[in-house]
Amino acid sequence: MTDHAIEDRLPSSLPRPEGELERLQKPWQRPTGWRFLKRVDNTSIGLLYIGTALLFFLLAGILGLMMRTQLAVPDNDLMSASVYNQVFTMHGTVMMFLFAIPIVEAIAVYLLPNMLGARDLPFPRLSAYAYWAYAIGGLAFFCTLFFGLSPDGGWFMYPPLTGKQYSPGLNADFWLLGIGFIEISAIAGAIELIVGILFTRAPGMTLSRMPVYAWAMLVVAVMIVFAFPAIIAGTALLEMERAFDWPFFIGERGGDPILWQHLFWFFGHPEVYIIFLPAAGMVSTMIPTIAGTPLVGRKAIIVALVIVCFFSFALWAHHMFTAGLGVMTMSFVSAASMAVAVPTGIQVFAWIATLWRGKVRMTGPALFLGGFMFIFVLGGLTGVMVALLPFDWQAHDTYFIVAHFHYVLVGGMVFPVFAAMYYWLPLLKGQRLSERVAKWVFWLMFGGFNIAFFPMHITGLLGMPRRVYTYPGEMGWNGLNMVSTVGAFVLAAGVLLFLVDVVRTLRRPEQPVGNPWNASTLEWLPTEAYNARSIPEVRSADPLWDQPNLTEQVEAGQHYLPGTESGQRETLVTSPVAATPRHLLVLPADSWLPFVAAAGTAGFFLLLTVKMHVVAWACGITAIAATVAWLWAADRPPPISHAKVSDTLVLPVGARGRASHSWWATIIMLVVDATVFASFVFAYIHISMRLEVCPPPAASLPALRWPLIAGALLAAGSACMLWAVRSLGTRRLPWLALAATGCTVAGFLVDLHGYQLAGLDPQAQAWSATIGALLSYQGLHAVVLTLAGIYLAARAWSGRLSPSSRATLDNTALLWHYTTLQGIVLSLAVHGVPLLME
Amino acid sequence: MRERFFGKLMRGTLPLLVWAAHFAGSYVLVAAQCSPAGFAPGNPHRLPLALMTLVALAVCAALAWRARRTFGGDERTALLDWAAALTALLAFAGIAWTSVPLWFVDSCA
Repeated sequence: MTDHAIEDRLPSSLPRPEGELERLQKPWQRPTGWRFLKRVDNTSIGLLYIGTALLFFLLAGILGLMMRTQLAVPDNDLMSASVYNQVFTMHGTVMMFLFAIPIVEAIAVYLLPNMLGARDLPFPRLSAYAYWAYAIGGLAFFCTLFFGLSPDGGWFMYPPLTGKQYSPGLNADFWLLGIGFIEISAIAGAIELIVGILFTRAPGMTLSRMPVYAWAMLVVAVMIVFAFPAIIAGTALLEMERAFDWPFFIGERGGDPILWQHLFWFFGHPEVYIIFLPAAGMVSTMIPTIAGTPLVGRKAIIVALVIVCFFSFALWAHHMFTAGLGVMTMSFVSAASMAVAVPTGIQVFAWIATLWRGKVRMTGPALFLGGFMFIFVLGGLTGVMVALLPFDWQAHDTYFIVAHFHYVLVGGMVFPVFAAMYYWLPLLKGQRLSERVAKWVFWLMFGGFNIAFFPMHITGLLGMPRRVYTYPGEMGWNGLNMVSTVGAFVLAAGVLLFLVDVVRTLRRPEQPVGNPWNASTLEWLPTEAYNARSIPEVRSADPLWDQPNLTEQVEAGQHYLPGTESGQRETLVTSPVAATPRHLLVLPADSWLPFVAAAGTAGFFLLLTVKMHVVAWACGITAIAATVAWLWAADRPPPISHAKVSDTLVLPVGARGRASHSWWATIIMLVVDATVFASFVFAYIHISMRLEVCPPPAASLPALRWPLIAGALLAAGSACMLWAVRSLGTRRLPWLALAATGCTVAGFLVDLHGYQLAGLDPQAQAWSATIGALLSYQGLHAVVLTLAGIYLAARAWSGRLSPSSRATLDNTALLWHYTTLQGIVLSLAVHGVPLLME
Repeated sequence: MRERFFGKLMRGTLPLLVWAAHFAGSYVLVAAQCSPAGFAPGNPHRLPLALMTLVALAVCAALAWRARRTFGGDERTALLDWAAALTALLAFAGIAWTSVPLWFVDSCA
């Protein structure tokens, strides 16, 4: 057979059976009217997510304009110091936590399934939950501004300023609970993206053919898994200090404010790359299209993304160069901060080379990509400057830093996102934004940005500190501040004009989307609610360029899965490296439960903060009930055992063990869990290392018999669970699950009793408080496992555990063994560190 | 998995893991030595740091040598080969660069 003949042989032949398309359309119909709250499909959730993130961008932008108005002239009394503190804290917090991170995840939720050739993400209800939790929690958090309850300690919330002594109100609590909760939603999104990217790619889309944007999102999702737990642990510690007087960060009681800085920036610096890398991925997708040529150095760019992922974790302490760390440790971090410029530079040079090789059309996206490169490179250069210790000591906490990070973040993320909106907006209704208006928007934004932020370098070098609400007229900063304010309003005018154009464009009648930029990636295939009619067989990194008739073939149903085999929503699961079809995944339908669970969770956290205990617990119970109902209906035997997904390929429906997507999601969740735990262990070690004698005077460790008995009980719990897994289908399974619960809870209580006998008092000093935090985290796991054990027994008794619906059992077992391991590591760490210090 | 997913992942990222281990090891060792209860308060021992650096550089050099054919490769070179080569090169440079302070910083403060 010739190569040509092989290429012409498509997975599904024509003509397609009558009624196949109608059967495919039926399960993907989206509820309309107020029932849209039930929707869980990636297109609906992605668009809501993007819209909400942009709303927060506007709201935080307005706060920025308020700040610039206040600073336009010296000795201004437009805002009091207290209001200004809340405004700058909310500006930073909302921009970082409610705009920047959510929008990169939002764009991925919207774009990735189409780009990968999937029908949807693998956990649509989780996406819906993550979105609603973010939207409801975020809006309620923002509204605290109207009641004077907004946080006011800066977006990085350094203690002791944010401790109970200096921030006695609820303002800091809103930040800690609100942001901690929103971070959990971001982690849920990251798990969804990792599993989606690795397992739902179109057949033939090997890792080397996968779009660079998908690579960027994969890297970013992995970074979220390792970076965000640090801030979750940090916020938990600070909230415990505020609520229970456990003095983790109070120096005179053995605590250390620097501990917060370590935890915050171990999240906070990778976060800069978590924001930038998706933008870089979008740039790597748009530039080849705009230049009309394949990406130069595509493989080098992918490897550079992975290198940045690693290097970015070594940079956290460059935010702490004036905090009193050792010179040698700071020098290591300084060197690493410069080293990260190398992989970033690889990407920038590859983009320039691609533009150089191709023929660039100066369209809306091209303008914003040009602006991105100019601004981002300048921000990168000042980044290398502040990576130098002596320079940073001079510039720290001045407007030079404000200028630097706005160049990095606005250049590295906002401009690419605007380019992306120009580029991908036609996917919505087939209408492009106006090119004439685009020039105005770009020059207003580009000019306004540089007029606003370039002078801040000089203002900073002249000594103006950041976060001051006003300044005396004789400091010599008046003119520069006025220029910055004018620039900020010009920038805002550009954003406003963009919004007007978006509204105008979206009000035009719908027309076929087509491929307006002549792009090479799959999101430009014709799509409906089920995404592409058939899932394409991919043979190159630029499928729409290299497979000339792909669009027509896909639309005619000549590729994989042109209909629905089970009559429900489905997508193909492929292998992680070569994207070989493995099995068919039946996806859940629309439901109220994710919305109700998210509203209940948000209500619980926010109302608990304002001490409305009864309503808060009502919300919490509602959230638990909705989640249990959601899980109860999941993990059912597949409606059919096998499905024919092409003329010759029959795949099993559903999978178990390591082949199951839920097994992988559980493993990733446990990595998050372990990283939170590691952050608590780090806190314990950090506080211990500050001691002259460990344990400190008047504190002691329990006798060794207690952790030994506790460890034996935890191991017995795991053994029961192992036996339970092997007893699937027998009557003893529920009893073994309950026995495992009993052993694990007893193990925890024995451990706790040992510490009680040793007189552990977390309020006494920070060292005991860190042990209290570790025990609390293990206790949380004991509670979760108690619920899981009872749930497992209930499922077994009701006949909902079987060889074809065993994900609940397998995943609970994983959680069980992890908790056992965590308990043992906890004891080893607590008892081992004092031995090392002797 | 049949595709040796984790094996391939390891091959593509091993030099970066070496870099990460070296960075974390150096940071922790210096921080421990400079802590109030540390084993060399006021003046960290640089010899173990230098030895650790030499070992890490040697591993990265060996990995780069193993992937040397990729450096003369063309567009058909597999992504994984690219990753093995480029990460080894950059990890080597990263370790060497991060260790520069060892030459001229000799105290905690």
